[in-house]
Amino acid sequence: MQDILVYIALGLAIGFLVKKYFFKSKKKGNCNTDCDC
Amino acid sequence: MSDDKVVKVALIGNPNTGKTSLFNQLTGLKQKVGNYPGITVEKKIGICKLNDTFKAEITDLPGTYSINPTSLDETLVLDTLLNEKNDSLPDVVVVVVEIENIKRNLLLFTQIKDLKIPTILVINMVDQMKRKGIEIDVKLLEESLNTKIVLASARKKIGIEELKAAILDYKKLDTNPISNITDRIDKEYFTKLKNEFPEFSLYKSWLLITQNNEFDFLNNQQKELVLKFREDLSCIKKYQHKETILRYQIINNVLKDSFKVDKSKASDLRGILDRVLTHKIFGYVIFALILLFIFQGIFDWATYPMDLIDGAFASLSSWVKTVLPPGTFTNLIAEGVIPGIGGVVIFIPQIAILFTFIAILEETGYMSRVVFLMDKIMRKFGMSGKSVIPLISGTACAIPAIMASRNIGNWKERLITILVIPFTTCSARLPVYAILIALIIPDQEVLGILNLQGLTMMALYLLGFTAAILSAVLLNSTLKIKGKSLFVIEMPNYKIPSIKNIFYEVVEKTKAFIFGAGKIILAISIVLWFLASNGPSTFKNAEQFVTSKEENKDLSESALHKKVAAYKLENSYIGYMGKSIEPAIKPMGYDWKIGIALISSFAAREVFVGALATIYNVDSDSENSGTIKQRMAAEINPDTGKKRFDFPTGVSLLLFYAFAMQCVGTLAIVKRETNSWKWPIFQLVGMGLLAYISAIIAFNIFS
Repeated sequence: MQDILVYIALGLAIGFLVKKYFFKSKKKGNCNTDCDC
Repeated sequence: MSDDKVVKVALIGNPNTGKTSLFNQLTGLKQKVGNYPGITVEKKIGICKLNDTFKAEITDLPGTYSINPTSLDETLVLDTLLNEKNDSLPDVVVVVVEIENIKRNLLLFTQIKDLKIPTILVINMVDQMKRKGIEIDVKLLEESLNTKIVLASARKKIGIEELKAAILDYKKLDTNPISNITDRIDKEYFTKLKNEFPEFSLYKSWLLITQNNEFDFLNNQQKELVLKFREDLSCIKKYQHKETILRYQIINNVLKDSFKVDKSKASDLRGILDRVLTHKIFGYVIFALILLFIFQGIFDWATYPMDLIDGAFASLSSWVKTVLPPGTFTNLIAEGVIPGIGGVVIFIPQIAILFTFIAILEETGYMSRVVFLMDKIMRKFGMSGKSVIPLISGTACAIPAIMASRNIGNWKERLITILVIPFTTCSARLPVYAILIALIIPDQEVLGILNLQGLTMMALYLLGFTAAILSAVLLNSTLKIKGKSLFVIEMPNYKIPSIKNIFYEVVEKTKAFIFGAGKIILAISIVLWFLASNGPSTFKNAEQFVTSKEENKDLSESALHKKVAAYKLENSYIGYMGKSIEPAIKPMGYDWKIGIALISSFAAREVFVGALATIYNVDSDSENSGTIKQRMAAEINPDTGKKRFDFPTGVSLLLFYAFAMQCVGTLAIVKRETNSWKWPIFQLVGMGLLAYISAIIAFNIFS
C-alpha cells in the first residue's frame, strides 16, 4: 500500500514538472520589439 | 459597465505619485497579482466595495509618464486604454497626480482625457500642501480640466470615500477633450486622419499611428491604413513634438490661476538631503554603509528564524517517522516531502527581511537616488542603475533578486541582469564553501590580523561579482535585442515609509516565492528522494550482501547500518547516475561519490554537504560537522594514494560551485520571469561550461 502511495506521489511530482515546463500555453499577443516574447 | 454591479476602474499615474498606496487603501488585501498575457509585467487587480450594491474592479497599471510608451510596462497602459476587446477595458480611469509635481503629471491626464474616456483626477499627498506652501482652487481646476477632482492623501486615508463616490457616479463625468489641440497642430492632416478612422476618437487614431505597436484589435484594412500613415515618420515626430509643447501650454494656462506655490512658506529639506545622498563621494559612502547594514541584518537576523524553521522541520520528520507505520511512503514523507517543504520555508526569513529593506528604501524615496547614483557605472557594463539592488540581493538568494529586477524597464538591461545574478555568491553556496575551505586552506593568520580562510571566502565573493560584471559586458556586446535605453528617473519626495505598503509588498513577494518556486523544489525533492531510495537488484539485496561481507569484522549495529546505507546509495539509481558521469567529472578530479553530490545538489547547492555526509557515512547535523570534515579529509583517492580532497580537487570544486547553475529554483524563476525556456537553458549550459572548464584548468594547474 505504501509503495502505491509513493508511486502516486512520484507520478504527481513528475506530472507537475512536465506540465509546468512543457505544456504551458503561451500567448503571443501584446508583444513589441522591447519584449522577447 | 460589463457586469451591472461592477465598475471597471484603471488606476493610472506617473511613477512615484502614490498610486500603489491608493490602490492598497481602496482594495486592502482583496488583491490578485498576475501577469499580462504572454509577458511578465505584473498585473495587480483588486476589488473595492463602493456601496451595498456596487463594487469596483480596480487595475493598478504600471507607472508611466505618458501614453507614448518607451518600455514594455508603459505599452500595457496604452493597450489597456485603446483595445476595446481587452477584458480590462476600463469604464472609468482614475489618474493619480502628486501635489508637488502636478504640472508634469498632468501631461498624462490631458492625453487620457482626449481619448474621451470618463476620467477622475486624484491629486495625491495633499497633506503636504501647507508645508510646501501650496494652494489649489479645486472648483476652478475642475472647470478648466472638465473633470471631477478628488483631493487625497492615500497614506493618511484622506479622500478615499470621496473617490469611491466619484467612481460610483462615473456616468455623470464630462468626456469632452480639454481643448482641440489637433487643429492647432495641423488641421488638414488631422481632418484626413479623422476621415480615415471614423469609428475611433481622433486622439485614439493619432495614438494608433504614432506607436510602433502592432495593435491586434485592428482589422486588416485598418492595419494597412496605420502603416500608410506611419510611412511619413518625420512628420509624425514633428507633430508629436508640437503636441507636447501645446499640452504644456494648456497645463500652464490652467494652473496659472488655480494652483499657487508660496516658496517663502516652504521648507527645503529635500534639496539638502539630495545634495548629500547623490554626492559623488558621500553618496557612494552612504550607500555602502546602508548595504553593509542590510546584509548584516539579512545574515544576522535571519539566522534565528532559519534555525527555528530548520529545527522544527527536523523534529517534524522524526515525529512523522514515529507516528506513521514504517514503510516507503512514510520514508518519502519524512525524508523527501518534509525536508523538501523545509527547504522552501527556510528561505522565508531572508526573503522577508530583504524585501522589507527594499520596500523601506523605495518607500522613503532613497532608492531613486541610488539608481541615479549607480546608473552611470552600471551602464558601462550593459546594465542600468536599477540593476544594483538585484545584484546585491543575489548574495542572499538569487530567486528574490531576480524577482527584484522587474522594475528595470529596458528589456535588454533586465535580461542581462537576470542572466548574471546567479554568479553572485548566494547563501546556499556558504556551507559548500565553508567545508571545502576548511579542508584545503590552512587556518592561519595573514599580516597578524587577517585569517587566510576568511580571506579565501571574501575572494570567492569577489570572484562571483567579477564573473557577473564580465558576463554582463559579454552579453551586452552579443545580445541582439532592440530597445531604447532611456534613463528617466523621478526624484520623489522623501517620505516616512507606510507600514501597510511594506507589509503588502513583503507578503506578496514571499507568497510568490513559496507558491512559485516552492512547488517546483518540492516536486524535484520527491524525484531525487525516489532516485536515491530505489535501485536495481543490487540495491534491493544490499542488507544481505553487506551483512555477509562484514560478518567477521565484529561491527556494531550502528556501524553496520551505515555500511548498508552507503552500499544502497552506491547502488541506487542516483548512484548509477553518479558512476555514469564519472568519466566526465574525472578530469575535474572528482570520483563517483562527488558525482552523486553534484547530481543531488543540482536542485539546490546546499544539498552537496548533506549528500557527501550520507555518502561518507556520517551525520550531517552541525554538531557533527567536524566528523564530516574528518571523514572527507581522510578519504583517499585509490588512483593516486593521496587525499581525495586535496588542494587541486578542493579549488576545482570551489570554482565549480562558484560558476555552475546548481539551483533549480533559480532556473524556474528565470523561466517565469523571461517567459521562455531559452534563457534558463542558456544560463544552465553557459554557466555549466564555464564551471566545467575552469574546474578542469584549476585541477590541472594545481595538480
